[in-house]
Amino acid sequence: MAQRAVWLISHEPGSPLCGTVRFSRRYPTVEKRATVFNGASYVPVPEDGPFLKALLFELRLLRDDKDFSESRDSCSHINKTSIYALPIGGEELWPVVAFMKNGMIYACVPLVEQTLSPRPPLISISGISQGFELLFGVQGFLYSGQKNDSELNTKLSQLPDLLLQACPFGTLLDANLQNSLDSINFASVTHPQKQPTWKAGTYKGKPQVSISITEKVKSMQYDKQDIADTWQVIGVVTCKCDLEGSMPNVTISLSLPTNGSPLQDILVHPCVTSLDSAILTSSSIDAADDSAFSGPYKFPLTPPLESFNLCYYTSQVPVPPILGFYQVKEEEVQLKITVNLKLHESVKNSFEFCEARIPFYNRGPVTHVEYKVSFGQLEVFREKSLLIWNIGQKFPKSMEISLSGTVTFGAKSHEKQPFDQICIGGTAYLKLHFRILDYTLTGCYADQHSVQVFASGKPKISTYRKLISSDYYIWNSKAPAPVTYGSLLLVRCHN
Amino acid sequence: MGPTSRETWAQRLGTFRASPSAFMAGPEGEDLGRHLLSDLRSEKLSEPTKVSLLALSLEYPAQLWPDAPAAEVAATSLLDTLVLLPPRPSALRRPLLLAATTALAAGGALGPTSRASRRLLPLLLGLASGRDLGRSFGPASEQRPLQATAWECLRELESCKPGLLGGCLGLLRGLLGQEAAVQPLSLLLALALRNALVIQARARAGLQGLLVAGGCPTEGGPWNWMLAEEGDAHLQPQAPSWPAAEEGECCLAMLELSPEEARELRAAVAQLLDISYLLTPVAQAQLLWLLGWALRGLRGQPPVLFKPQLVRLLGTAQLTLLHAVLALKAAFGEALFTAQDEALLLRRLTLAAQHPALPLPAHLFYLHCLLNFPENWPLGPAGEEAAPLLLGFQLCRGLLPSLLHDPMALLARLHLLCLLCVEDEEKEEKGQDQSPRQYLEELLAGLRQRAALDGGPRALATLCFQASYLVARCLAGQPVVLTPLTHGLAQLYRARPALAPHFVDLLDRVGPELGEPLKVVLRQEVVSRPGRDEALRWHLQMLARVADGDAQSATLGFLQAAAARCTDCGLQQALLQVCRALLRAGVGGGLADLLQALARQLEDPDGRDHARLYYILLAHLEEPKLGVALGPSLAAPALASSLVAENQGFAAALMVQEAPAPIRLSMGPHRAKGPVPVLQLQVEVLEQVYSLELRFRVERQLYAPLGAVHVPCLCPGRPTRPLLLPLQPRRPAPARLAVRALYTTPSGLTCHAHLPPLLVNFADLFLPFPQPPEGAKLGFFEELWDSCLPKGTESRLWCPLGPHGLEALVSRHLEPFVVVAQPPTSYLIAIRLPPDSRLLLRLEAAQADGVPVALRTDDWAVLPLVGDYLRGLSAAG
Repeated sequence: MAQRAVWLISHEPGSPLCGTVRFSRRYPTVEKRATVFNGASYVPVPEDGPFLKALLFELRLLRDDKDFSESRDSCSHINKTSIYALPIGGEELWPVVAFMKNGMIYACVPLVEQTLSPRPPLISISGISQGFELLFGVQGFLYSGQKNDSELNTKLSQLPDLLLQACPFGTLLDANLQNSLDSINFASVTHPQKQPTWKAGTYKGKPQVSISITEKVKSMQYDKQDIADTWQVIGVVTCKCDLEGSMPNVTISLSLPTNGSPLQDILVHPCVTSLDSAILTSSSIDAADDSAFSGPYKFPLTPPLESFNLCYYTSQVPVPPILGFYQVKEEEVQLKITVNLKLHESVKNSFEFCEARIPFYNRGPVTHVEYKVSFGQLEVFREKSLLIWNIGQKFPKSMEISLSGTVTFGAKSHEKQPFDQICIGGTAYLKLHFRILDYTLTGCYADQHSVQVFASGKPKISTYRKLISSDYYIWNSKAPAPVTYGSLLLVRCHN
Repeated sequence: MGPTSRETWAQRLGTFRASPSAFMAGPEGEDLGRHLLSDLRSEKLSEPTKVSLLALSLEYPAQLWPDAPAAEVAATSLLDTLVLLPPRPSALRRPLLLAATTALAAGGALGPTSRASRRLLPLLLGLASGRDLGRSFGPASEQRPLQATAWECLRELESCKPGLLGGCLGLLRGLLGQEAAVQPLSLLLALALRNALVIQARARAGLQGLLVAGGCPTEGGPWNWMLAEEGDAHLQPQAPSWPAAEEGECCLAMLELSPEEARELRAAVAQLLDISYLLTPVAQAQLLWLLGWALRGLRGQPPVLFKPQLVRLLGTAQLTLLHAVLALKAAFGEALFTAQDEALLLRRLTLAAQHPALPLPAHLFYLHCLLNFPENWPLGPAGEEAAPLLLGFQLCRGLLPSLLHDPMALLARLHLLCLLCVEDEEKEEKGQDQSPRQYLEELLAGLRQRAALDGGPRALATLCFQASYLVARCLAGQPVVLTPLTHGLAQLYRARPALAPHFVDLLDRVGPELGEPLKVVLRQEVVSRPGRDEALRWHLQMLARVADGDAQSATLGFLQAAAARCTDCGLQQALLQVCRALLRAGVGGGLADLLQALARQLEDPDGRDHARLYYILLAHLEEPKLGVALGPSLAAPALASSLVAENQGFAAALMVQEAPAPIRLSMGPHRAKGPVPVLQLQVEVLEQVYSLELRFRVERQLYAPLGAVHVPCLCPGRPTRPLLLPLQPRRPAPARLAVRALYTTPSGLTCHAHLPPLLVNFADLFLPFPQPPEGAKLGFFEELWDSCLPKGTESRLWCPLGPHGLEALVSRHLEPFVVVAQPPTSYLIAIRLPPDSRLLLRLEAAQADGVPVALRTDDWAVLPLVGDYLRGLSAAG
């Protein structure tokens, strides 16, 4: 299990090559093994230039997709994973693990320790998951806390050294590159015995533990008879444990109030040392019933030095926090729109912000808007064909607000106005953006007494909570809207 | 020459990295490696510059030092540089160790005769085990990182030369108890242990106390290369792919461990697993793959050792850890995972494949793992993607595709949906949930709607056709799915004829279940709706693919109407393409009129000439010849060809003449080797020919279509080499090959001839099995013999012998297939019958006039053929 080469490529749509290799690293000892293992089916790792071209073509990132190209557009050329075969010099380089995130393409070629013809199934190649972890690790390092291009460049310039540390011979030792960076800095400290490898040093100072629960709520609302609305909460619990000692033991418990919604689909950080089977089996795949495990959710762990995501979970709360409908009627060049939003009474009515964005796709620029809002203000972005309804910090006492108006559009010119592949014809949506501090929709919380620390000194424990919206869509109920199987199914069950 | 400056190096390295091959071909290429080594010792260059030079040598040793002697010299020089470093902190020590290791391992110089290897290995082991190496090895602050690096270097060397550290297993175990560098040590120990097991198993030796021996080469003492020399022939996969691992496993099963050795081994593995939580997640995963596959084949090593780790691992979101658990599942199956465990693992996998906290590439990989899940009791054929039995529809609901998904996720989920639809069909309609099939139809309709969007990106169209292809492939047997799909696609074409290339591509790739009805509706779509200029171009392209003998009058009517509007050259060419397709399909009467009209009315002279040519061909050639004349490989008029070429008496040159056969073909001796049967055809040349193309057609389609054989030139009287014709039988059966020859005469005419058919005999398909090693032959045969039943059949025959007896008969006809021979009375014979059958013969207790033959085969259909064959042998002599 090793990597033959790694690349970082920035996608630059305007440039002649459409991209630049920002970083690459080859592993010749692994390559040597590849020649032996792959035998006659061995294909060498190409130089950066040909690799860049082949990868961008395969990922459809070159500009010339005007004409049909069989090698790229053929219906039988189907990729169902982020693993590609790149035609290079008459041969196919496989497997190439590659994906794009924030305009950066991450790619590597794992070693396959056997002949490549016939190709073994991906599941049986250990280097595949290692390649992914390496790329995720690099991505995490580049984008953790990074704000601008110069910071990105600084981090890119640190990569050669970091990979020399974390992956000196192509076999990944630690996907957490920040940890590798720390261990370079901690190098002079003499370590006690049996220090975990994922902990670069020991903490010295005042003991403190911070736990923050962030819940994202997403929703698809249709206001239709035959399609059920859906919503889901996704939680992440982030911790930072500043505790002395090489391996302090900590147990963190998450609790729910009596009417709280059970946590499901819990994935934990590898530093968690054991798991209750009730946590392992509580899953959204099963039909909901009252016997669902409702905590407390205990996580015994040995914390790493840095801040880490203790666990992720999902939850199905009984009602969406904001229920709404959106109606769009087309009248010649005008659209008549009506929006109604209602905050559920159980939700904390104190927002950091709350706004509804109403975009219009595949049309010309907005030329004229007439509107009436019962609450808040409406902003119009004509060129972007976008309305933003700023609702503010609080819903009114009635908990219900509305917007109605007509929007007039100018002539459509292809380049300027936003294109969308979903919003065809009458299909349209509005998207809610909001944030509520010191609140979770599931009710999930961690209090001071829920943290047990087996280390010297009584730590200061701080906890934080917040709820934010994510992919919170309300679809035009007067036109078709994209649905998931769940939406159709739920209606059947309810009817 | 003095040292190069920092700037020059920076520039040189930049140019090198941009294209190493171009740089090495240039003037500076040859000496780059030498300069780099000498400048590493230059006092004028700063440390960062030297680190960048070392970084280059870590990546491109093969370019810098292309052969083993050069690599040896480089490694020696790097080691010298390391030793000569002043005893103050330096950033060069780590990269120098890595570079020397890389140079030796990648350059193929590592070995007992290499002086650099003999220096490097004790040095690494000394550094790693924390032995005091004197002040030259830098200040104390550097010891820890150097120690970890030394372990990694040793592991890389062990990976490249399995068995290298086999002699140090005892030492490594001892250190594991006390060392702080837990991770590198654990990984190295696991690797060396695994390699030692495999090498010793191959040599049929036990562990010979390797696990407890404390002895290890001291500095200056000789290194123990014994195990590495034995393992040299076989590079060991550290985490073998599963099918490959199963092959290697029979070898591990041969390892006989004494009870003490087995106990020591178990203790070592348990020790490694117990401290595995101290390792980073990726390193834990490596450890599990290594240990899992190391123990899998071994007798008496129960996998329960892994059990305590599993719950902890199943709870995480780490890709490598879950993947390693799947590897353990594949390695041990039911021995480690009960049916309940399997169900839990499947649920965690299903959950991970859709968990909103994980990134898309991880979702897709988990989905792949689901469809390739190593089940305890798989039902379907191995190697094919399928939904595991325990993965019911209920579990998959969250994994169904929707239009909101990214294209790759949509296709992956669509595949799952198709597999569920297959099952749904099998289970009949249950009518509880919305039927998956209905959902599939709605989804496809949505995809088509997006593809129809005028001016939308091509990726959307591609996605729609990929989805259609996937559905057609998975659900080929379900007309209820294919019929709406066909009509939906026809509608899509109506809405956006510019997608014609996608339709042509789809028709080329799907089977007849969708292809045939789609062709019909698309043709109707085209001929019933003549469009304007832009659409006309696409219509003609479409029609060239879908036009055939059916609906002639409508097609011709459309073409006649179109002809008037084909004003530009491109459209006329497209029109002629359709005519050509009709010509090949054997459309007569009306086409002649159209071609005559085109020959008169087209503006483009090239087009007029082509129309006239087609008319001549139509009027003068019979249908099969027309097909040949217009076949793709012939020198038929390429429509893009220039007028000049065609004006040189093109009609005569392009007419294909029927002629008597210029050559005679006969079967040469049978070649019983290689992965497929290959016929050797002897050629007897009667007339001189050029550019000979022999086309073979297999009657009754018993074999896959055969490729044509091309010979540039044949002259009578000159010796010819036999022609090789590989066969791909679909069934192991004799067949007749019809043979046609197309060739050019010395006078430049293109001719066509029928040759007498060739007969492929049953015995021509025989292939031997790979030879098992000496000593394993009988077992190999017996295993094959047993494997035939219960699927196949067994029979007994009397094979009459000629005057020369059994020995002569075997040596003449069956020699390549003999597995075990005891001449003159007994032979065990194994024959591979492609595509995937086998025939096993026991010829034992031969008598004067015949021999009783016991035979087994896994394909009952070959029995009569075998009988005929054996009875015919004595007649053949």
